[in-house]
Amino acid sequence: MPADRKRAPKKKALVSRPPYDPEQRVVAVTGAFSFIGAELIKRLERDRRYYKVLAIDIRKPTFPMSKTQFHKIDLTLPTADADLAAIWKREGVDTVVHAAFLSTPTHANAWAHELESIGTMHVLNACAETQVRKLVVWSQTVVYGAHPLNPNFLSEEHDLRGGVSRSRFVKDKVEVEKQVRRFSDEHADTLVTTLRTAATLGPHIRNFATRFFARPLAPTLMGYDPLMQLVHERDVVDAFALAVDNDFPGEFNIVGDGVLPYSTILAMMGKVSVPMPHFVAYSLSRALWATQVFDSPPNFLDFLRFLCVADGAKAKRVMGFTPVHDIKATIHDFLGVGAPMTEQGAAQHATGGV
Amino acid sequence: MAGKQILGDDPFASGEDKEAPPPPPVDVKGAAGEAKPRAKKVVPDSVAADATVEHAPPPQVQETYSPVETRPPSEYGPSIDRPPPAGHRHGLVDEVKHLEKSVRDRVLPARAADGRPEERQKLPLEFVWNRWRKLAMRDRSDVVDEFGRDPNVAARVDPLLEFLYKTYFRVETRGLGHIPDEGRALIVSNHSGTLPYDGAMIMHAVKEEHRAHRAVRPLVEDFVFHFPYLGTLMNRIGGVRACQENAERLLTQDQLVAVFPEGIKGIGKLFKERYQLQRFGRGGFVKLALKCDAPIIPTAVVGAEEIHPMVTKVTWLAKSFGIPYIPVTPTFPFLGIAGLVPLPTKWYIAFGEPLYFNAEYGADGANDRILVNKLAEQVRTRIQEMLDALLKQRKSILFG
Repeated sequence: MPADRKRAPKKKALVSRPPYDPEQRVVAVTGAFSFIGAELIKRLERDRRYYKVLAIDIRKPTFPMSKTQFHKIDLTLPTADADLAAIWKREGVDTVVHAAFLSTPTHANAWAHELESIGTMHVLNACAETQVRKLVVWSQTVVYGAHPLNPNFLSEEHDLRGGVSRSRFVKDKVEVEKQVRRFSDEHADTLVTTLRTAATLGPHIRNFATRFFARPLAPTLMGYDPLMQLVHERDVVDAFALAVDNDFPGEFNIVGDGVLPYSTILAMMGKVSVPMPHFVAYSLSRALWATQVFDSPPNFLDFLRFLCVADGAKAKRVMGFTPVHDIKATIHDFLGVGAPMTEQGAAQHATGGV
Repeated sequence: MAGKQILGDDPFASGEDKEAPPPPPVDVKGAAGEAKPRAKKVVPDSVAADATVEHAPPPQVQETYSPVETRPPSEYGPSIDRPPPAGHRHGLVDEVKHLEKSVRDRVLPARAADGRPEERQKLPLEFVWNRWRKLAMRDRSDVVDEFGRDPNVAARVDPLLEFLYKTYFRVETRGLGHIPDEGRALIVSNHSGTLPYDGAMIMHAVKEEHRAHRAVRPLVEDFVFHFPYLGTLMNRIGGVRACQENAERLLTQDQLVAVFPEGIKGIGKLFKERYQLQRFGRGGFVKLALKCDAPIIPTAVVGAEEIHPMVTKVTWLAKSFGIPYIPVTPTFPFLGIAGLVPLPTKWYIAFGEPLYFNAEYGADGANDRILVNKLAEQVRTRIQEMLDALLKQRKSILFG
């Protein structure tokens, strides 16, 4: 925490806002159509302590909503912050969950930048305007970047080296984190939680990891076999629900237990690995990305070459977040087989013997 | 994927729709057309999501997200590096076989129930690929510990290390009793030999000859760690990338860590510089010992400095290969790959008395740079003394 973390005196300190009532909370969720947004809203719908949920997206979520209000707001529009502020002020929002981010890299660089970086700016402006009590932001562990100098377990205090990469996808996310950090330094009475999720797999979620592992072929860089980390979609939603429920200021890595080498993960998923020397792979990938044949930018190969594993100890210690699925359980569930390994193993599992 | 099955065991052929109802329970016969219908436990999707592998029986997820604290609270959380259950072959091949079968059962329940032979689209040369995959997975286990050590790979490499240890280098150890039976400790050793054989031999010595058969985790330089194949192999047999965070984590878990503070300068010593200890980094190992309250065990390795008598080294060409230098020895590169065979010298490894710096200076000493450098120099002098003593006793490089 920097020492100069003092709130600048605000002119609009006298906003008429209903006092915060822990039994009658109003939550706004941006990116309500995304997996995390939708699942979180479903949970809040079931919880009686939440009086109202504002779902903000450009597409209406498909699940039945009783206390959820849908607001169609495009975060890339220049007036988005004013619109958001007006709605939040009217409804007395106390908690904002910002999950309107891309989960897959796109070739539409300019639009991606508008959505992620500028969209976050709009959300932060609206938060400052309405003085919300709490802000929960979704980020990913890719912001640490796969770097040769990474330790085996990256803590939350580690540098965000993803920004040095040329990938717009990661760069925008790092930019978002910087904006959010500046916001939390300037607005001490808003509690800011950043949840950095590892590559998320599960039967329902769709992101770059699921897309990558859905293909029958997977590239490997010859001689490199980094350890990888996964987290189950359900655990991610658990973490978001925890962060909305209780107050945990700061950044947290949301990761599953255990690591496995990339090649082991591929073997378990039944993929055909295509080994390539790394210099060939990089130039090939650059060419395929430039011609828009491939959907993952060339520097994503770094993640197949170097470590990018985050340490979930802080989330465990501070938030009490315990992932229910370890890495193998996540893979099994992703494959749709959430069963014990062998009959023998199942028998042992049943008897509890070792 | 659009319903096109490429591998047959493609898990994504069905289940695109997230609200899809669970598949109807079907009795599944074996894929090879077994006569006896095998009872299969069919669980609805919502329950299946909670079920996990036997390694980690998880608490059932409740509908409200009250986090259940069922696992023992440990600082770094549970690791999946647990002993395998008895009677179960703990290999990747078995795991993958089982997974393939369950995925097939899930994706093709109707077909398997018909008892018809599977019709699935095959990849070209799938047979070759399958053989290759099985070969590649043969010696791998389905778990690694959190730093990447694979017990099966380690066991596979063991006979080679044993040969080097017993027959080739004929290693003699002294002072193994100075290594504690349990609890953290930092082995600090001289480094030499162009390729890091000394780390492997220290690892093997403690594993084979120490009474507690402890596993040593050597810290590996970046250049070795990111070298294709070599780095991965070092990682699987227990090596960890040398950095403060990793070392701290290992010591906090009460492991035995070996560090070579000479680093790349030590490994690239010329023959004329042998047994002259280089600068000990920036004293990072002393900071570690002070911070983590770990005793330092000064260790001298004699014999390793002559295995590749380096006459000179070429640095200007090495950059393009991504290595710090190309060694020039009497045999390498003139004999090609054969020049990489080390000289069969006689080795001695001496473990010295532990130094308890933390008890003397406390954890705050780690912030005192001058103290850290002084202590690092002290350790360096201690190891140099041990080296000199061993060298005085030695009569021949090859026969000891």
